[in-house]
Amino acid sequence: MNTLGLVAAITAFLTIWIGHVAVRKIEANTRVIAIPMLVAIVLGLITEYCSLITDNRSLKTALGILGITLLWDAFEIYRQQNRIKHGHAPANPNNPRHVKILAEYSTATTLNLLKRDPIGRQVSPEEAPKLIHHEEHEVSQRS
Amino acid sequence: MNTFGIFIGIITFLIIGLGFPLVIRGERYFGYWVWVYMMSIGFLIILASLFVQTDWLSVIVGVIGATFVWGSTELKEQAIRAELGWFPFNANKIKLPFTEVIKKWKAPHL
Repeated sequence: MNTLGLVAAITAFLTIWIGHVAVRKIEANTRVIAIPMLVAIVLGLITEYCSLITDNRSLKTALGILGITLLWDAFEIYRQQNRIKHGHAPANPNNPRHVKILAEYSTATTLNLLKRDPIGRQVSPEEAPKLIHHEEHEVSQRS
Repeated sequence: MNTFGIFIGIITFLIIGLGFPLVIRGERYFGYWVWVYMMSIGFLIILASLFVQTDWLSVIVGVIGATFVWGSTELKEQAIRAELGWFPFNANKIKLPFTEVIKKWKAPHL
């Protein structure tokens, strides 16, 4: 029985998950994305170095995967900003950088158009915002 | 000191990259209900990695499994992206067995 594949699978799954959530949160809340991008690159390189010098094969594998994921996350922070510009991810109206994007790009929106269930047919840009699930308190405020 | 971990990191990165077309095509042809199949296949592949004796091969098999499991959690959002016109929308999806049952279940999303 070789558990190295299992270690790699768990590491890959968890780092993708955490990275996926963290990239969105960090991009939405930082004014200058170059700073978290640089931090991710430095952390990624340090992690790869640790993978290089450790002798334990499981740890080597986990650190190798984590390091590359951090390096990719740096690029994902930049890609996330592009998603904001296209309206594919919601802009944060409290972030000055996003406020600027909202003013410059007509496609940008504060709405999360993915926050709903699929309905099985194509949806027009006008209909899309109406399908979003609203938080309970928002609904109760309206009624 | 050896580069095994870095090599594995890069290989993992490339395999995860294959997850993108997996999710896009999977949703387009079968609908997001294919998540049950994709997740099951993923767990079976991870299980199979336990029986691969060669270390780097076991890792590759494990990561392919993880990619399937992660992909299964992305299918629901992908279905919405296609409905919004961000990706080509296919109205004539192939219905796999138990699709009607799976439709009643809540699709995972992380």
